[in-house]
Amino acid sequence: MSVLSLLLASAAFFLLGLATDAHHRRRFGACPQAARCKMLRTGGWLSLVMSVAPALLAQGWIFGPILWAGAIMAGAGIAFLALNFVPACANARS
Amino acid sequence: MSKGFRQSQAFLHTWSGLLLGWILFLVFVAGTIAFWREGLNRWMRPEIARVEQPMRVLAGSQAFLARKAPDAKSWIIPVATERSPGAQVFWVPQPKPGEERGRRGRRGRGDTQALIGADGQVAQARETRGGDFFYRFHFDLHYMPVIWARWLVGFATMMMLVAIVSGIVTHKKIFKDFFALRRAKGQRSWLDGHNATAVLALPFHLMITYTGLVTLMALLMPWAVVANYNDQNTLFAALFPAANVVERTGRPTPLIDLRRIATDAERRLGAPASFIEVSDPGDAAARVTISQSANSMLSSRTPRLTYDGVTGRLVWRSPPPGAAAETAGAMIGLHAGRFADDGGRWLYFLCGIAGTLMVASGLVLWTVKRRERLLDPTRPHLGFRLVERLNVAVIGGFPLGITCFFWANRLLPVALRGRADWEMHMLFIAWAAAALTAFVVRPARVWPSLFAVTGVLLVALPMYDVVATDRGLFASLAIGDLMIAGIDAAISVFGIGFLLLARRVAHHRPAAKRVRRAEAATASRVPEPAE
Repeated sequence: MSVLSLLLASAAFFLLGLATDAHHRRRFGACPQAARCKMLRTGGWLSLVMSVAPALLAQGWIFGPILWAGAIMAGAGIAFLALNFVPACANARS
Repeated sequence: MSKGFRQSQAFLHTWSGLLLGWILFLVFVAGTIAFWREGLNRWMRPEIARVEQPMRVLAGSQAFLARKAPDAKSWIIPVATERSPGAQVFWVPQPKPGEERGRRGRRGRGDTQALIGADGQVAQARETRGGDFFYRFHFDLHYMPVIWARWLVGFATMMMLVAIVSGIVTHKKIFKDFFALRRAKGQRSWLDGHNATAVLALPFHLMITYTGLVTLMALLMPWAVVANYNDQNTLFAALFPAANVVERTGRPTPLIDLRRIATDAERRLGAPASFIEVSDPGDAAARVTISQSANSMLSSRTPRLTYDGVTGRLVWRSPPPGAAAETAGAMIGLHAGRFADDGGRWLYFLCGIAGTLMVASGLVLWTVKRRERLLDPTRPHLGFRLVERLNVAVIGGFPLGITCFFWANRLLPVALRGRADWEMHMLFIAWAAAALTAFVVRPARVWPSLFAVTGVLLVALPMYDVVATDRGLFASLAIGDLMIAGIDAAISVFGIGFLLLARRVAHHRPAAKRVRRAEAATASRVPEPAE
């Protein structure tokens, strides 16, 4: 359950990160269209909200929120490092 | 108005961060390491076997104390766990008539304690402060009266809170920009790095700073206490309630087997016990108080049970704490992270590293930003030079000092008088040497050499362990002692990190050659990444 929370949080920050111009261009070769950008953002926030539930289920009401805070920090860290340090595919980088 | 306000916040952010930044760096480094306090306590005593049966240690402690201090005022026995090196027991002798009764006998603490090892016998281990050093240094610093140190650290913490909040206000953009990391772009990269480490672990930074203030609140803001309590004793009684004290009878009666009480207490509490305090052992009025381990709950104010030391009957149970005490306890628990299992510890540790990097990059950023605006870059003004050199001395020197502390732990002769003190002196001697170098030699030379020396020494340390002790990385892995193996591995990783850093800094050429925007960017010799 705590792993699920971490996965959801990482996914959330990946989506939010990809919604920014710089990273979208780097990964997909173009700035995101307004609609696509909105989709990515919504998906990101939704995933972030959903990551609360498994944290609470895993650890209850006292440690659950702490776990969740930890999960979003770790998730954001993973997404940040991956977006910035994993090289983009050759064909996407135009 | 908005612009004026933002600017004043930027000013606040810069100066609140800078002036106490060096102390904050020390506090962050020591605090981050202190999350592995128990592990380091064991790592720094490689002679000692891992505790497999805590109850055996407890029985051994009782037997030892009964032999050594049968008529003590009280015994204090920590319950050994698999994480601890054993049980560091100590006893308080009967106060002699006419002598003042302190809470814990101040004099001669050294000869009223002993370490009971895994086999229940007194362990012969090298004298060291172990990981406890980092824990104390985190708020007491060293070589100065504790109260001053706490004021200093408390003040630095307040400034930290100011810096965090003003940083958020000034740079609202950081939340939008925080996925961006523009590398090899001089000042821009520094700013991105500073932002990333700040924003990624922002919940942690806010939490650790605020709860850090809570741990010192009675010192920093004593007015509520002063207004409500006439003297210290009533305050202590309210905060730490205890069973009624019984008078010593003078009739010798054997003490019950503490293992029985511990087992019963763990059953009642539903959690492991951490401390056992026996008052008037060997007397008919003996009392045994057991506190619950802080590993098992968020609040650091753990419940306690008191037993009759002869019959083993439960006589007192600590009342549930009031809301305020509970809140403070929970905050201190959150700060120290004692509840965390290994995964949680790692998260705390990584966040601590992020905080350290945030402080370090902020300090370096101050010079990077101003270097471009210097009138004559070859002869910077005094303030600039001071900050630059202090950065080298603290950010480059302190890790070297810690490394030497670890080496001293391995190399100082066991028989040396005041060995534990000498380990600490070595830290400060090495650090002082580094600081001195920083003020004599050009920073561009000192940065990489300090990092390189630190890196080499760190990498060599686990190797030395493999060769010279029987607790090397492979031996620990073979017996499944992941804590010790993990510390050795982490030291290697940090060593390699420092070496890479040294290479990067040494190869760094003045930014003017790499970054286009800068004929004027006399950002020459910007030491690239700091720690």
